[in-house]
Amino acid sequence: MKIKILVFTVFYLISFYNILYGANPEKVDQISKNLRCLICQGQSVYDSQSDFALSMKILIQNKIDEGKNDKQIYDFLKSKYGEWIVYDPEITKNTFLLWLLPLILFVFGAILIIRKVSIK
Amino acid sequence: MLNQIGNYSLYIALLSSILIIIQSPILLNRNNINVSGRIFSLISIQSLMIIISFIALIIAFIISDFSNETVYNNSHTSKPLFYKISGTWGNHEGSLLLWLLVLSIFLLIFTITSKNLSNQYRILTLFFQEIIILGFLLFILFTSNPFMSLFPIPNEGTGLNPILQDPALAIHPPILYLGYVGTSIIFSSSLAALISGSVNKTWAKHIKNWVLVSWIFLSIGILLGSIWAYYELGWGGFWFWDPVENVSLMPWFCLTALFHTILILEKREIFHSWAVILSITTFSLSMSGTFLVRSGILNSIHTFANDPSRGVFILCFLFILISLSIFIYFFYQNKIKNNFSKTYIVSKETAVLVNNLFMMFFLSVVLIGTVYPIFLEVVNNDKISVGPPFYHKLIVPFMIPFLIFMAIGPNLNWIKDKINKINLQQLLFFILSIIVSYIFLKRVGISYLFSLPLFVASFFLFFITIKDFSVKKVNLSQKISHFGFSLFILSVLVNGVLAKEYSSNMKVGDERKFLNKTIKFESLKINENKNYQSLEANFKISDKNNSINLKPEIRVYDQPQTITSEADIESTLYSDNFLVFNILKNDGFYNVRYQIKPFMIWIWISIILISFGGILSIVKKNG
Repeated sequence: MKIKILVFTVFYLISFYNILYGANPEKVDQISKNLRCLICQGQSVYDSQSDFALSMKILIQNKIDEGKNDKQIYDFLKSKYGEWIVYDPEITKNTFLLWLLPLILFVFGAILIIRKVSIK
Repeated sequence: MLNQIGNYSLYIALLSSILIIIQSPILLNRNNINVSGRIFSLISIQSLMIIISFIALIIAFIISDFSNETVYNNSHTSKPLFYKISGTWGNHEGSLLLWLLVLSIFLLIFTITSKNLSNQYRILTLFFQEIIILGFLLFILFTSNPFMSLFPIPNEGTGLNPILQDPALAIHPPILYLGYVGTSIIFSSSLAALISGSVNKTWAKHIKNWVLVSWIFLSIGILLGSIWAYYELGWGGFWFWDPVENVSLMPWFCLTALFHTILILEKREIFHSWAVILSITTFSLSMSGTFLVRSGILNSIHTFANDPSRGVFILCFLFILISLSIFIYFFYQNKIKNNFSKTYIVSKETAVLVNNLFMMFFLSVVLIGTVYPIFLEVVNNDKISVGPPFYHKLIVPFMIPFLIFMAIGPNLNWIKDKINKINLQQLLFFILSIIVSYIFLKRVGISYLFSLPLFVASFFLFFITIKDFSVKKVNLSQKISHFGFSLFILSVLVNGVLAKEYSSNMKVGDERKFLNKTIKFESLKINENKNYQSLEANFKISDKNNSINLKPEIRVYDQPQTITSEADIESTLYSDNFLVFNILKNDGFYNVRYQIKPFMIWIWISIILISFGGILSIVKKNG
């Protein structure tokens, strides 16, 4: 009985491990959609069939197999290829205006409208 | 010979442009002179000359006259006739000539159709329009002349990029340009109205048609580009937030905002300044757009440096036009009637203001996302990419309130509406949308944070716009356009959520299972065509009930040598079956990508509906 439980637990743990860390093709897709294919024109790694993109996908798969999470993978790629490779720029001192400007404009416009509108 | 004809007629057009610009201030001071006199004949001559030069270029392309440098660089004798003709505007020089052609023809149409308006306003519009035409003529003649001669004459041309050899892309630029150039008339006439102090109902009524025409052409132009990207670029998306696409979307947002503002101006005589500002912005965006795409700044600032004279000219011209308009705006601003009293919070006027706020927000997201990387690279040499995630993150959260406002807004009354009227019916529809979205998302198995509210908002708009067809006070063209828009948002969302994709490496004879379907790689054959060879595959996709055959191709063009993948798409009302294949290095294996894209066709249909609303509005008014 004990052996049965043990076998069952081990099996359960393995399958659980597989679910968590096992081959997860969708994750590769998700990440590679977010990466610029550096040798193509305006294509993501996911969409491209170039050698660069193919080896990139294998690289991402390896990183996932090593148990790295999304952020670690992106950080690794950025340190290797620079910010240019990700389509989703992080908020840094270089890019905070990029994210903030449209929002500031929206608030500014909203204030203008509120001033032009009366509730009576 | 053709080169000379083209060149001379462009110089005559240049001369008439200068004559008109010199004469118009003189005519302006004489009150009862009719424009249809000398200026009209000058404009006719100018249009005629530009038409002649354009025809000369087309003929040069048709007969493959390689003594012309543009033809030599962009054509080849083995190309089909249709693509020889479309090659005329498939390059930098030719496309600028097309811009110029549309500019002058539009001006001619304006002159003919504005006879019942004040002389001062007409002459001023002509004046500003001629400045733009003059700028383009100088730009074409001195930096991008399509009629440069080559000697000795080469025997064969270098060919047109095969990716451009496609029916949708052949007509895409002219349609888009009609939209872009239409905004030039709006620009000139708004400045003219500003100076002559006639920014009013009459002006709004007159310019509304031009706004609509530009907006319709721009919408259809964007649609064509996006259909092309869908089947030709070969990875199944229809919008990539690519800078070149963004550039066409920006004036669209602006025009949409302008159209709504003009309606208010016409009905209620308010928002004068805002309408003028939008008119100026729209044109500035259209023109910067064309130039950005054409000069190659967008892909990399390094291509910009390849031809400094073009880049510098572009920048100067843009700078002059924009600063001229800003100067005029501030100088004559006090001529604008200011009978603005605060609008009541619940009214159609406020609804339009809110529409404008969102349009400007979407515009700023796209504008900043497109230009920011260029500036950053110039300023501190850092290269960043701004792609789909950026746009989605900023636009999607704002989409939710936007859709809800769009549902409520059009049902409000002018001036003042009761607050409690918004209630019951709309509340019922809102609850219905929550239920429908919840069931839908539950069945699909998706629970992202934004999904539910986004679906609720779009279903809400969808139901309300359908309901609105039974409301009398809203006009039909608006109903159709707004319904089209709700259908568009809904199809995009459903398509995004339900799309399925399968990718695998296969060789002839292989069979793969995907969902409940079987994909079989049946055969491969080689076809010889006039200007390319193709490798045509035959795939059989079958499920329990039926089966379809998809025949994607890989084409090898010889002039210039390029390989393209042609997807094969089977469209039904429910979904598209999209299949594309690519050569792999391993012998006999091909990368096969099969996608099921639900409601794809509805995305196209909805954009056609949106534009159709606009067409109907023009036809109804004039009929």
